[in-house]
Amino acid sequence: MVLKVFFPSCCSSAESGILIGRWISEQNSAVILAVVHFPFIPAQVKQYLSEVQRVTKVSVSVLGSWSNSKQEKEESLSEFLEDLGTIFSHDPWIQISKEGDSNFWSCSTLQKHSNNPKEEEIILVYYDQRKVMLSHLHPPLDTAAFTDHKADDASKLAAIFDTVAKSKILFMTDRYDDGPIKLTHWQSDGVEASIIVELMKQASVPACMLLTFLLSLISGICRSRVLKFWPLSFLWSKLSTCEQLGHRLQHLQVISSNKKAQNHTQLMRKANIFVSLLIDVALGILLMSWLYRKNRIGHLADTLIPVADHVAEELQDLLQWLMGAPAGLKMNRALDQVLGRFFLYHIHLWISYIHLMSPFIEMILWYVGLSACLGLTVALCILSDIIALLTFHIYCFYVYGARLYCLKIYGLSSLWRLFRGKKWNVLRQRVDSCSYDLDQLFIGTLLFTILLFLLPTTALYYLVFTLLRLLVVIVQGLIHLLVDLIDSLPFYSIILRLCRSYRLAAGVKFRVLEQQDGKPLRLLMQINPLSYGSVVQTYRLPTYSCYPKDTWTSLCKKLFLGELIYPWKHKGEKQD
Amino acid sequence: WQKVLYERQPFPDNYVDQRFLEELRKNVHARRYRYRAVVFQSGAVVQQLCSVCVFVVTWWYMDAGMLSPQGLFGAALVSSLLGYILFDAVDGGAGRQESGRTRWADLKSTLVFAAFTYGFSPVLKTLTESISTDTIYAMSALMLLGHLIFFDYGANAAIVSSTLSLNMAIFASVCLASRLPRSLHAFVMVTFAMQIFALWPMLQKKLKAQTPRCYVGVTVLFALAALGGLATVSSVGAVLFASLLVAISCLCPYCLIRLQQLKDNIHGPWDEAEIKEDLSRFLM
Repeated sequence: MVLKVFFPSCCSSAESGILIGRWISEQNSAVILAVVHFPFIPAQVKQYLSEVQRVTKVSVSVLGSWSNSKQEKEESLSEFLEDLGTIFSHDPWIQISKEGDSNFWSCSTLQKHSNNPKEEEIILVYYDQRKVMLSHLHPPLDTAAFTDHKADDASKLAAIFDTVAKSKILFMTDRYDDGPIKLTHWQSDGVEASIIVELMKQASVPACMLLTFLLSLISGICRSRVLKFWPLSFLWSKLSTCEQLGHRLQHLQVISSNKKAQNHTQLMRKANIFVSLLIDVALGILLMSWLYRKNRIGHLADTLIPVADHVAEELQDLLQWLMGAPAGLKMNRALDQVLGRFFLYHIHLWISYIHLMSPFIEMILWYVGLSACLGLTVALCILSDIIALLTFHIYCFYVYGARLYCLKIYGLSSLWRLFRGKKWNVLRQRVDSCSYDLDQLFIGTLLFTILLFLLPTTALYYLVFTLLRLLVVIVQGLIHLLVDLIDSLPFYSIILRLCRSYRLAAGVKFRVLEQQDGKPLRLLMQINPLSYGSVVQTYRLPTYSCYPKDTWTSLCKKLFLGELIYPWKHKGEKQD
Repeated sequence: WQKVLYERQPFPDNYVDQRFLEELRKNVHARRYRYRAVVFQSGAVVQQLCSVCVFVVTWWYMDAGMLSPQGLFGAALVSSLLGYILFDAVDGGAGRQESGRTRWADLKSTLVFAAFTYGFSPVLKTLTESISTDTIYAMSALMLLGHLIFFDYGANAAIVSSTLSLNMAIFASVCLASRLPRSLHAFVMVTFAMQIFALWPMLQKKLKAQTPRCYVGVTVLFALAALGGLATVSSVGAVLFASLLVAISCLCPYCLIRLQQLKDNIHGPWDEAEIKEDLSRFLM
């Protein structure tokens, strides 16, 4: 079988010594973590290794010898190195030697207790220790589609990454430390001496505690009984601003908790939430500064009333058109007049209400605009709520029209069954024949005729108001989609993928380096970063997302029967 | 030769001897009709046709303004009272005792239905304002045709549905009534339709069961009245209608009896077995 040796590229110029690392026997590969230089005492080395093994739970052992001679191969050194093999018993004992500055090293293994005497093939794989240590290997997303073969590959890689990542403590000892053992491995450039970072780290703990205290206070107030009375609780559940604020409160609680992140996913989640909040608040403050400059709020308030008036006027024109002969359709005149007048009166009420509120609009808008500093998402939610309030009369008309139409459809279907002499059997949930009395038959047929001939009129009013309502719903839905996007996009992960792409690894790729006959095959292992799509998919933040509740067919069926539609479902709502 | 196939015989498999088709029977269950009985039963169809004709003629007169609603209402009221008394008198009160329906219940349903129709008559009048006259005529004609098709003439067929036929007739009457000038006209028209399509057949069924001779006389009188009314409206129509009535009452029975002789049903031991005994004695 082929023997794979993973050699850190930072140790290529190290002085001679012995190699320590982990031997993975299932894959017949050796992961070399560091080089221990001469002189050393074998007993101390073994003690050190057992300590490291206890702390990191990685079975680190002496794997072989490394000789880096500037001149030609010294025979005595090689014998000495072979003898070392007997002291540190490891099967197979790997010997790597580099002559001068040549790139081609010679590797050989010493099999002590092997059955087949022939030479094994060795593949030398160089890896960047720092990058492999810092990166996180992502398992493939669709594990169901994988065969066993690929799953094995993934776990092999995971073993190698794990080995390097868990041996962090090994990398903490410095080359210049005065200890019994001198190691060569990846070295950090020294602890950052930046004072600001240190100060921030020190200050973050009390800041977190303060934030936690404030948040618990706020959530305690929110949960108090005062705010749970019926009209208020209904209002809170309908306003999307409250939901968004609650969502952000949850986020704040997550990042201000004192517990350190246990694993990679939690850490990324915290970082994503933090960055998302920052960006949100920054955009919100930007929006606020734009709004309050040059008295734009005043202009907005000034144009709001004329816009509402204009909308009401358009509605009135529409109703006048419906009361005539719309599109050449034949409406029942009497019913037409009744419905038209009813809706016109409603519009009249609405206009008076708006005019009553007009002196206070500017002040309300001014204060409401201040809340944009809580984030762009909050501002967008407020906008969506304002739209809902302004088009409340359209919603009312839709409900009236829908209820009338629904009543008519149910009446018609029931009376149609009476017309044919059948009845709906509630017990068996089917249509059965039934013998009706004479007066029942008569009155039923009369009502059926009346409802049938009045159907076009009601249906037209229903259609018009449903279309208007769907328009408003679509606009609100778009705004909510935007809010969702800002909420759930993992900004920190995307920035990480841009700047330090090796941190998020999807796999590795191997580049074949120059080869020479007789020398082992040399490969360079490079990290393959995760694609942007998988980054977003893996690190998406969960939201109270709103997505369409019904499929197209059920939506059409509801529209046809006149049932009220609420197309967007929020995660917290109970299912019907 | 034996009539079996499970034994080897020197004859070919499809051999038959002279006893072939000995057990064939023809037209065992064919009914023998008598001309007079069939003509008598066809009176039901004639009656319905005449009802439809009378209704349409009455509507025509009201539309033309030659018949006042009050007059029609009065006449209808008187005739329904007469019919009501006759209904009970024909079988001497036995039917009423059997069905258990009191006079008070009858009065209540009459009042309810009259009040309902009167209350809805303004709505009824404006119901089809925007629909063209041709559509109304076509719809009414279809509905009346449906009424004739689905009516219960006493036959035991699957297509018969008395509910459906009555509803279709009422629907047609509402359609036609909505064309009249005022809501009182509409009210009277609908009431008259109710009487002629719902109450008259009930009375006639009873008459047919109890006094066949009276029934025949009433049918003939009714047919003559319908023809007379139609003749004042259109003579061509009257002639056609008369020929239709004659065809249905005299010609069709003759055709039925003639064609009955051409019936060719064969029965034999190959028929499906019918269990004739009462097997309930095997139930525990």
